[in-house]
Amino acid sequence: MTAVHQFHPVLAPGDAMSNHVFALRDRLRSWGYESDAYAVDAKPGVAGEVLSYRRLFRMVKPEDTLILHFSMGNEVFDQLIKIPSRRVLVYHNITPPEFFSGINDHAAAFARLGLRQLEQIAPAFDLAIGVSAFNRQDLDDMGFRKTAHVPILIDWKLYDTAPDPAVLARWSVFGRKLLFVGRVSPNKRHDDLLRMFAYYRAAIDREAQLLLVGSYRDHREYYARLRELQRALGLETAVTFTGGVSLSELCAYYREADTFVSLSEHEGFGVPLLEAMRFDLPVVAYDAAAVGETVDGAAVLLHERDLAQAAEASALVSEDAALRAKLTAAGRRRVADFDTEKVAQRTREVLGL
Amino acid sequence: MTTQPPIDLDAILAEVRARVRQKRESGLYGSDLDAALTLPLPGGRPIFSEELKDPFLALPEVLDEDVAYDSKSRKRYVGPVITLARRALIGLLRWWLAAVTERQERINQLVARALFDLRDRPTPGLEKRLRKLELWHEDFVAANLHSVYFQARFGGDEPVIRRQSEAFADLFAGRKRVVDLGCGRGIFLGLMRDKGVGAYGVDLDPRMVAQCAERGLECVEADALGHLRSLPDRAIDGIYARHIAEHVLPGELVSMLREARRVLTPGAPLIFVTPNVATLTVGAHSFWLDPSHVRPIPPELFRFYLEVEGFVDVDVRTFEPSEQRLSDKVSDAAVRENVKLLNETLFGDRDYAVIGRAPA
Repeated sequence: MTAVHQFHPVLAPGDAMSNHVFALRDRLRSWGYESDAYAVDAKPGVAGEVLSYRRLFRMVKPEDTLILHFSMGNEVFDQLIKIPSRRVLVYHNITPPEFFSGINDHAAAFARLGLRQLEQIAPAFDLAIGVSAFNRQDLDDMGFRKTAHVPILIDWKLYDTAPDPAVLARWSVFGRKLLFVGRVSPNKRHDDLLRMFAYYRAAIDREAQLLLVGSYRDHREYYARLRELQRALGLETAVTFTGGVSLSELCAYYREADTFVSLSEHEGFGVPLLEAMRFDLPVVAYDAAAVGETVDGAAVLLHERDLAQAAEASALVSEDAALRAKLTAAGRRRVADFDTEKVAQRTREVLGL
Repeated sequence: MTTQPPIDLDAILAEVRARVRQKRESGLYGSDLDAALTLPLPGGRPIFSEELKDPFLALPEVLDEDVAYDSKSRKRYVGPVITLARRALIGLLRWWLAAVTERQERINQLVARALFDLRDRPTPGLEKRLRKLELWHEDFVAANLHSVYFQARFGGDEPVIRRQSEAFADLFAGRKRVVDLGCGRGIFLGLMRDKGVGAYGVDLDPRMVAQCAERGLECVEADALGHLRSLPDRAIDGIYARHIAEHVLPGELVSMLREARRVLTPGAPLIFVTPNVATLTVGAHSFWLDPSHVRPIPPELFRFYLEVEGFVDVDVRTFEPSEQRLSDKVSDAAVRENVKLLNETLFGDRDYAVIGRAPA
């Protein structure tokens, strides 16, 4: 039996990247291939499902396919491309280093390394897949021979998980709630979300709440400075940083929120935009990187970076029932475009399996 | 499949811009909000700025740069000879240069790494100093005291507390959601239940919360200020806080009043009960019987706090007369007046309540 194995330096529970790897592994197995997920660092929660990358050197045979997922630089890639087999790269984008300058020099250095490494290893790949057209363009620019665009594989069944009752109970008593989901990272511009929300509270709804769901582990300095900004804007009781959450908690936040708003300036794909649509939330998003492509007309897309307008748009989509209905219907149709089965078939075709 | 009308983004954005314009004109979106919308991220260097002057930003860039040297000479006639000579020289020096470069690169990496690590590391000993501060606070409020024994010796009797609370019950008549901050065993809450007033308690001590629950009273385990902060605007219609003001620092008390004003509905009553330190035997002695008392609050000051935080109809009522008194049954009128004055100063009322209402 030939095998199709996958590798990413870090695999962790709950992040879109890792979910994609596991969903694809399950598909590969169902198509009759031997398939496993390999990593350098498997975080608690998925450790049981992940094998050490060292085994790849022994396991992979020349007729096998090795799928390397790339979102950060790592010296292991230099070794893995020496394994004789068919090599496919799946590119999840690297956040440009500019976003980290002044706030996280480690992250900036890593991003720079990653971009350089990607260019160096390009010739070793038979095929490179971008999870968005935006990512594919990057791959073409970097000199990959053969590129393709296949969206990220999302296992929609996961979101049928019962929402966490404690989260539902806590938030149901509040009025209007705005939601953003994503790691606390400078490129996602949580700082602008806070400023935008200062306008929202002052000029639209004095009792609204802003829920910021996502881990702040990776960028502690940014997080600390965000909390300071929150205080300076007088939003202590109006904004909640939840940190990392479980799947059932995530579902509960989507259930409880009224509007999803993203001011992110860099997304390689933007899974939460689709998740919000899955939960019938109207989406307001700033048009940057792959965002416009991912929402594809099913959201209010802001082209100007004007925070007052972002706030008013977020209010409008929750107040205007007709508009809300249109957006949620469009959202559902957009989610259907990423149907697990459909994307899996497309992945299979592109991989030639 | 039904065809949906398309979403007209331009119309939506036009509506959004109109709303922003309208708020500008009405003055709702003024200079305050402009300032908020452009407030820089506090606490460090500006982000998303091309500050190459900052060495920390520039360093990684420089370290990453490749140094290229074009050995080819383009001079006419002698060019090829020069090129050849250069290449020969480079060829000879290559191994030595590579070794030097490699070592230098390693040094660069180590230095950069050490610099970045140092920057991210908190000041040496910070943890220790923080811990010391925490311990100091615990010492300050005598967190290690055996509170159960303390309660047994010095805690008030239930009937006495209930009688005191009854005097204020009428102020809450007909209210739906009154909060008792520092509710203890729930004596006031029980009273409110008997009078048909909707009330719940907040207490720091889980044992107190459990006692309330046993009596079927609603009680939340939280600190008073934190709880008030967690409430939405105008969420409650009355606050009763018996003997908590003297347990907090002045700034915390002011914050509590400010939050109270935000969460109370207009006209809702607010009552704080605290030892009457104007009575000398209280101010100089019994106030300090409780080691967790932080600061005495003279009635005039408390009245001022309420007034300056915007509460209306502010009133101070003293109660609980001291048991001890000097006898004023003397015939001399002048001496009698003096005795009265002494009685007031030494053996006046032991507690007072400051009462106010949230403004309309």
